[in-house]
Amino acid sequence: MDASNRSEQFVQQLTEHQNRLYGYVYSLLGDHSRASDVVQETNLVLWRKIDEFQADKPFLPWAFAIARFQVLAHLRDHQRDRFLLDAELAETLSEEVQQQAIQLEAVRDALRPCMDALTAEHRDLIDRRYFRAMSVADVAADVNRNVSAVKVALLRIRRNLANCVQKNLAEES
Amino acid sequence: MQPQLEELESLLLDWEAGELDPPGIDRVREILRGDAAARTLFVRMQMLSSALKLEAETRITAPTTRAEVAATTLPQRRAAHPAARPSLVALRFHQWIAVAAAFVICMLAGRLAYLEFAPVSVPPTEAARAASSPPAESSHEAMSHGVALVTRLVDIVWDQDQSHLEVGDALAAGRLAIDSGYVQIEFFCGATVILEGPAEFELFSAERARVISGRLRAHVPPAARGFTIDVDDMQVVDLGTEFGLAVSPAGTHVQVIDGEVELHQPAQQTRLLTAGQALLRGADGVYQAATQPHAPLVGITDLESRDQGQHTARYERWKAWSAQLRRDPRLVTYYGFDEADSWERRLTCGIDPPNGELDGAIVGAGRVTGRWSTKGALEFKRPGDRVRIQIPGEFQSLTFACWAKIDSLDRRFNSLFLTDNYNQGEPHWQILESGQLYFSVRPVERGTPGPHDRKVLSPPFWEPSMSGRWLHLATTFNVETKTVTHFLNGEILSQDRIPDEQMVFTTRIGTASIGNWSIPTQPEAQFAIRNLNGSIDEFALFSAALTADEIKAMYEHGQP
Repeated sequence: MDASNRSEQFVQQLTEHQNRLYGYVYSLLGDHSRASDVVQETNLVLWRKIDEFQADKPFLPWAFAIARFQVLAHLRDHQRDRFLLDAELAETLSEEVQQQAIQLEAVRDALRPCMDALTAEHRDLIDRRYFRAMSVADVAADVNRNVSAVKVALLRIRRNLANCVQKNLAEES
Repeated sequence: MQPQLEELESLLLDWEAGELDPPGIDRVREILRGDAAARTLFVRMQMLSSALKLEAETRITAPTTRAEVAATTLPQRRAAHPAARPSLVALRFHQWIAVAAAFVICMLAGRLAYLEFAPVSVPPTEAARAASSPPAESSHEAMSHGVALVTRLVDIVWDQDQSHLEVGDALAAGRLAIDSGYVQIEFFCGATVILEGPAEFELFSAERARVISGRLRAHVPPAARGFTIDVDDMQVVDLGTEFGLAVSPAGTHVQVIDGEVELHQPAQQTRLLTAGQALLRGADGVYQAATQPHAPLVGITDLESRDQGQHTARYERWKAWSAQLRRDPRLVTYYGFDEADSWERRLTCGIDPPNGELDGAIVGAGRVTGRWSTKGALEFKRPGDRVRIQIPGEFQSLTFACWAKIDSLDRRFNSLFLTDNYNQGEPHWQILESGQLYFSVRPVERGTPGPHDRKVLSPPFWEPSMSGRWLHLATTFNVETKTVTHFLNGEILSQDRIPDEQMVFTTRIGTASIGNWSIPTQPEAQFAIRNLNGSIDEFALFSAALTADEIKAMYEHGQP
C-alpha cells in the first residue's frame, strides 16, 4: 500500500468511526466540550501512529485503545477539575462503554422514531434542552413552569427515550 | 425501578445541567462502584446523551421565531453549560481533517523542502514547564507541548530574566539564557546540545534552534540528521554527528568535530564542512578560514564527569550533615536508607547513639537508587509494599520529614506514614489523590463519642510533571501554638490552627507503616488500599515542631 492510498483509507476509517469515538469519550468524561477536546487529541495520536494502521484489521479496537488512554491521561492531567468519574471507574466502565459505543449509530437510528413518538409538549422540552442547549432554568422560564417540574419532566422523557431505544434495538437484533 | 437507579438518573440529570456538587459526584461513583445494573443504566444514559448531541448537530435547528432567537442569546449560551457549543464535534473534525490533509501534502512534498523556506517565525515565549501551562480549554491543547528536555545542569547561574529550570523540565519554544555554567538540552528529534554560559539561546522546534550569543556543542545522531541551528541569517545544518559553535558580536566560529555540516546563507553558495574543518563567519556575513581553533568546548562525557563531581560533592555534603542530624536529641527515629545490601530486609534506624529496637522491617518494597547513584532508597509499588516500625512512648509536638519521589497518586489516600490503628493521639501523614498533603491526629478513643479529628490539608502541590523528581515533604504539629504546618522543598505550603475542641496534646505512634496502611479499619472500604506509588529516600520523625528555618536547612543539605 503506498503512502497516499494508506492515508486515504485511514482518513476514511477515522471519519466513519468519529461518532463512535465521541460516544465512547463522552460517556466516560460526561462533558461535551472536554469530550470534543479528547476526541481531537485521539485523532491526532492516531494520525501520528498511522504506521500502526492496517487497512485489513478492524480499526475500532485500535482507536478505542488510544481513546481510552487519552481519557485516562485527561483525567490524570486535570486532577483538580471536577469530573463525574474517577480514573478507576473510567477503567472499570471502559469495556462496557466500548460495546455500547460500537452500536451508537444504531442507537441514533433507534432514537429517531422514539423522538417522533413524543407528545408535542415533551418534544418541545427536549428540543429546547438538548437541541438548543438551553439551561434548565431558561427552559422553565420559557414554558412557565418551575425548575423542579421541568427536571421531573425531563427525567421522565429521558427514561422513556432510553426504554424506547432499547426496545427498538432489541427488535432489530 | 430500584430506588438507587432512580437516584442515579436524577443525579445524572443534575450533572448534565452542571448542577451536581462534589457530594453528589461521590454518590454517583459510590452507586456505580457497587452495582452492575447501575453501570449498565449509566452507559445507556450516556450513550443516549451522545446520540442526542449528535442529532442536535446534524439537524437544522434554526430558531423559528424572533422570540426564540432572543431566548438563546450568546451570553446565556456561554453561561449555561459546556453543552452550549453546537456543532462542535462536526466543526472540529472538519478542521482536523484539514490539518491532516496538510500533513499529507507535507509528507509528499518531502522532508528537505524546509531548507528552501525562510525560518519559521515562532513568537518567542518564556521557556515553560510543560505541565504548568493553564488547564487549556482551547482547541490548541493537543499542539502545545515542549520541544526539548533539560537533561543536565552543571554549576548553572541563570540569567536574571530566566525562570529557573530543573533537570527533567520540558522546554517549550522560546528563549533560554544563562550567565554561566552548562545546560544540556535534549531535543525531541534526538539531538543533544550543550550550552556554555554566558549564552542566549532560542528554541524554535524539536529540530531547530537559534544562538544569539555564546558557545555550544551539538551532538546529532543519525536519527536527528537535519538538526539546524540558526545564527543571524545563517543556518548550520548537521548531517551528523558533532559540531561546535561560538557566537560573539565579532562573528561566528563553526567547527566540525565529527561528520559533516552544511552552512546555508542567503545569496551565498552552500558550504560543506567536514570533520576537523573550521570556519569563521564575520559579522558582515563573509566566510573566512579560521586561523586558530576556538577554545575547546565541553563534550557530553566531560559534562558527565563534571556533573558526577558535583553530584558526589552534594552527596558528601548530605552525608556530613546527616551524621550531625542523627545526633539531634529531638529525633524519635531516623532512616537514612543507606544500607548497600539489597538482601537486607531490615531498615536500620540511623539515630546516634544507635537503637536497634527502632529498626524497621521491609515488606515487599524493593531497593532502588536514591537521590544519588551512590545511595539507596526504597520503592513502594505494589499494594503490599511497606516498612513496618514500632515506636514506644508518648510525645507532644511532632515533625515528619522525608525525601520522596512520587510516580503518581493512584489512590484516594497515598500513604507516607500511617499508624496502624489510628487510635487516640495517633497521627496519620499522607497525600490525597488531589495532590494535597494531609495530616491528622485522632482526638478521642476509637468508638467513643467526641470531636472528629482535624484534617489539615495543604493546597494541592503535586502535578504530574513532578513525577520521578525527588521532593522534600515535611509537616510539623505544634502543641504550643496548636498549629499544623505543611512544607514542600523547604517552603511553607500552608499553616492551620487546630480548634481547641479538636486539639490533641499527647501523641503516640506504636506500630506503624511507612508507605502504606497496615490495618485498614474498614477492610472493604474503597480507601483501604493506601500504598504509595513512588520511592522514599530519607525519613525523620522528631518529638518537636521544627522551625521553618530548620526544615529549609534539611531541604538545602539534602537536595540531590
